[in-house]
Amino acid sequence: MFRRRFRAAALSVLLVGVGTWFVTGAHRGWTQTSTFTLQRDEITGIDYPVRRRTFVAGVEIPLAAAVLATVLVIASFFPRRRHGPRS
Amino acid sequence: MNRSIHARYHALSLVIVLTLMASLAVVSSAVFAAPLTFDFKDPKGVNNVQFKLDAALESITGTGTGISGQVSFDPSQPAATTGRIELATKSLTVGNPMMADHLQGATWLDTAQHPTITFEVISLANVRTQANVTTAEVTGYLTVKGTKKQVKVPVSLTHLADKLGARVNKPQLKGDLLVLRTQFEINRSDYGINPGQGTDKAAEIIQLSLSIAGAAPQS
Repeated sequence: MFRRRFRAAALSVLLVGVGTWFVTGAHRGWTQTSTFTLQRDEITGIDYPVRRRTFVAGVEIPLAAAVLATVLVIASFFPRRRHGPRS
Repeated sequence: MNRSIHARYHALSLVIVLTLMASLAVVSSAVFAAPLTFDFKDPKGVNNVQFKLDAALESITGTGTGISGQVSFDPSQPAATTGRIELATKSLTVGNPMMADHLQGATWLDTAQHPTITFEVISLANVRTQANVTTAEVTGYLTVKGTKKQVKVPVSLTHLADKLGARVNKPQLKGDLLVLRTQFEINRSDYGINPGQGTDKAAEIIQLSLSIAGAAPQS
């Protein structure tokens, strides 16, 4: 039971990490909290950045999730301390 | 008969004199036209600088919009252009919040101690004008993080006569616009920006691209 819970938690962490990364665009760089698009000013012809707040998960998110999942799986192999009756 | 010849002679003389006067007026206005002073504090917030550094995982691309300054430009004598452009370093940012903090920090731009990056025009060379576009090689002083260096950058200047009103949606407002564009590179170590450090994370070379418009209202 104890081992199963740890392994299930590891799987959940991994799925959330990879899922978040995938859903926000599978960006192969660092996490971004704002991005910009270029728009053109009609009269001057200048391309200017319009920045907007957004969350784009970077590769460190699934990587951190993988590390945490590995720790949980390793922890699941450690024997659980049993509290026996005191004599 | 004589009177008719005299009248024609006088009329012809008058035409010649008027033509000469008009030509003189055009030439003198071209020669003695005062240079226009363009203010680059843009109310529309369009003026921008974009910078890019190559890095191991991805290129770091950022933007800055805090531009101000003045340029004196005479369409008939573009080689005599002078001016100074400033960029507020606090306006520089990137998409990653940790990188943005590092960028503003003491190791990189130290924006608390050095709130502006400035470019001051010294002279123009290889000036070529075609229609309303002038291209030139501008020599100037670039000051970044307190380090002032003489640099040479390619610049294009587009003079948009009487376009100010159209730009700010006030047709009654008369005035000209000057659009300035340039792209050049600097070495961050030359300006004490985390010199020689973190080259595995961010390249030494910073690619800069500047697109700005200044306005010269007619009084």
